[in-house]
Amino acid sequence: MLRLELYKIFRRPRTYISFLIMTAVTLLIQVAMYVDGTSFVSFAMQGVGEQFAISGNILNGYLVTYLVLQSLLVHIPLLVALVAGDVLAGEANMGTMRLLLTKPVTRNNVVLVKYIASIAYAMLLLVWLAVVGLGLSLLVFGTGDMINLKSDAFIMLLENDIMWRYMLAFAFAGLAMATVAALAVFLSVFADNSIGPIIGTMGVIVVLTIFSNLEIPLFNLVKPYLFTTHMIAWKGFFDDPVPYDAIMKSVMVLVVYIVLFISATMVIFNRKDIQS
Amino acid sequence: MIRKLKSGLVLVMMFCSLAANAQQDTATALFEKLRTRLDVIKDYVADVRIKIDVSFMKVPPLSGKLYFKAPDKMKLERNGGISILPKKNINLTLNSMFPVGGVTVIDAGTDVVNGKAVRIIKVVPEGESDIILTKIWVDEQRNLALRTETTTRDNGTVKMDLAFDKHIKQGLPDKVTVHLDVKEYKLPKGVTMDYDANERVRAADKGDKKNKKGKIEINYINYEVNKGLPDKIFAEKD
Repeated sequence: MLRLELYKIFRRPRTYISFLIMTAVTLLIQVAMYVDGTSFVSFAMQGVGEQFAISGNILNGYLVTYLVLQSLLVHIPLLVALVAGDVLAGEANMGTMRLLLTKPVTRNNVVLVKYIASIAYAMLLLVWLAVVGLGLSLLVFGTGDMINLKSDAFIMLLENDIMWRYMLAFAFAGLAMATVAALAVFLSVFADNSIGPIIGTMGVIVVLTIFSNLEIPLFNLVKPYLFTTHMIAWKGFFDDPVPYDAIMKSVMVLVVYIVLFISATMVIFNRKDIQS
Repeated sequence: MIRKLKSGLVLVMMFCSLAANAQQDTATALFEKLRTRLDVIKDYVADVRIKIDVSFMKVPPLSGKLYFKAPDKMKLERNGGISILPKKNINLTLNSMFPVGGVTVIDAGTDVVNGKAVRIIKVVPEGESDIILTKIWVDEQRNLALRTETTTRDNGTVKMDLAFDKHIKQGLPDKVTVHLDVKEYKLPKGVTMDYDANERVRAADKGDKKNKKGKIEINYINYEVNKGLPDKIFAEKD
C-alpha cells in the first residue's frame, strides 16, 4: 500500500515542480553569492568588521548553504504542503476514496500510510536540497571555517567541526517537515479537493512564522507553543555550545504536534461519511 | 640672616630642579633603551595560538602563523582558514604600542607586576600620532616592558600584558594578553531570524554583552626573527 501511495505521489507532475522550484531558488542564491557575495559579506559583517580585520575564505560553501537554508525556511514547508495536502483530499476529489476503503485495511492505516508517503516525499526533497545546496555550494565556493551571524553574537566554527552540524540540522529539518506534512494531512481530511488544504497549510505556516519572528510582547506569550517557533531549531546546531536542551525541547514540541495532528486526522477520518 | 636663608632656598630649588632633571633623563634613557632593543627586531614569523575573549564573539582558539614586519605590518595566516585580528591601529605587537619619533618621557613612579618591581614611565608623542599617551611598566633590570597601556585617538585604550620565558634573550614575549575596548554588536533579529534557544541564558548573557572590554591572548610557540620578510606577504588576497 505504501508503494502504491509513493507511486501516486511520484507520478504527478506537481511533485517535481517542488524539486524544480527548490533547485531554481538554490541556484539563484548561489549565483548571487558568486557574483556579489563579497559585498553581501562586508555588509553583514560591518558591525564586527569595524573592529576586527577578518580575512580568508569567508564566503565558502558552508556559509552559502546556511544562507540557502535560511532563505528556504518558509518555502520548503509550502512545497511539502503541495503534496501532503493532497493525499486524502485528492482521493476524495477524484472519487477514489470509497474504492480505496474497500481494501481490507483500517482507516487508521490509510491515514498512516498516506502520512508516511508524504514524509518520504519531504525527506527526498531535503536530500535533494542537501545535494544542490550543500554539495554544489562546497564544489563552487570551496570549504573553510564558517561564520554564523546572530543578532547579538558572532560565531566562528572551524572547518573540521561543521559537517556533523549540517547532518544533524538536516535530520532536524526532516522532523520539522514531518510536522508540516502532519498539518497538511490533517487539513486534507476536511476537504474534497486539494486546493483548500494546500492553501490552508501555507496560510497557517505563513501566519505562525510571522508570529514567531515578530518581537512583540503579546506574541512572546504564545511563541513557545507555536510549532513554527521550533521549526528553526536546526540553527541551534550552528551555535557554540550547541543548546541541546533547547533543541530537545523543540523536538518534543514538534513530536507532540505530529501526534496531535495525525491522531485528530484518524479520529475525524474514522467518523467521516465518505461519499465520493 | 635673610640673605643666608635666600641663598639656602635657591640652593634647595636648584637641587630639586637638578634631581627632577636627573630623573627625567633616566626615564627618557629607560625608554630609549627599550626602544633600541625593540628596533633590533625588524621582522618575525611566529607559530601562535590565539584565544579571543570578546563578549559577543564565540571563536575557538586559533592556531596559525603570525607575520610581523616593523613598524606596523602584521598578518595572521591560518592555512586556508579564516583569521581574525583587531583592526590595523590596534596592533598586537609591542612595537606598535611604542610611539615613534620625538617623544616626551615622564617618570610616573614604581609598581609591582607579577611580583616584580617595575618602573612606570609615561610617553607622549610630540608629532602627529594616533597614540595620545603610552604608559609603560618597565622591568629595569632585564630591560623589558611587562605592561603597556596605550590611549589612542580612535580606538580607545589598549592594555597589554607581556610574559617572557623562552625568548627572553631576544626580548620577545612568550605570551601577550591584549585588553581592548570593543563596541557593542547588534544585528536586526528580522535579518538573522535567531533561534531563541534559552531565554534565561540570553537574559544572563546580556550583562556580558554590555561589558565592552575584550581580551586577546596570544601564545608564541616559536619565532624566526629578521629573515627579511617581503611586503607582499602582507598584501590582502581577495
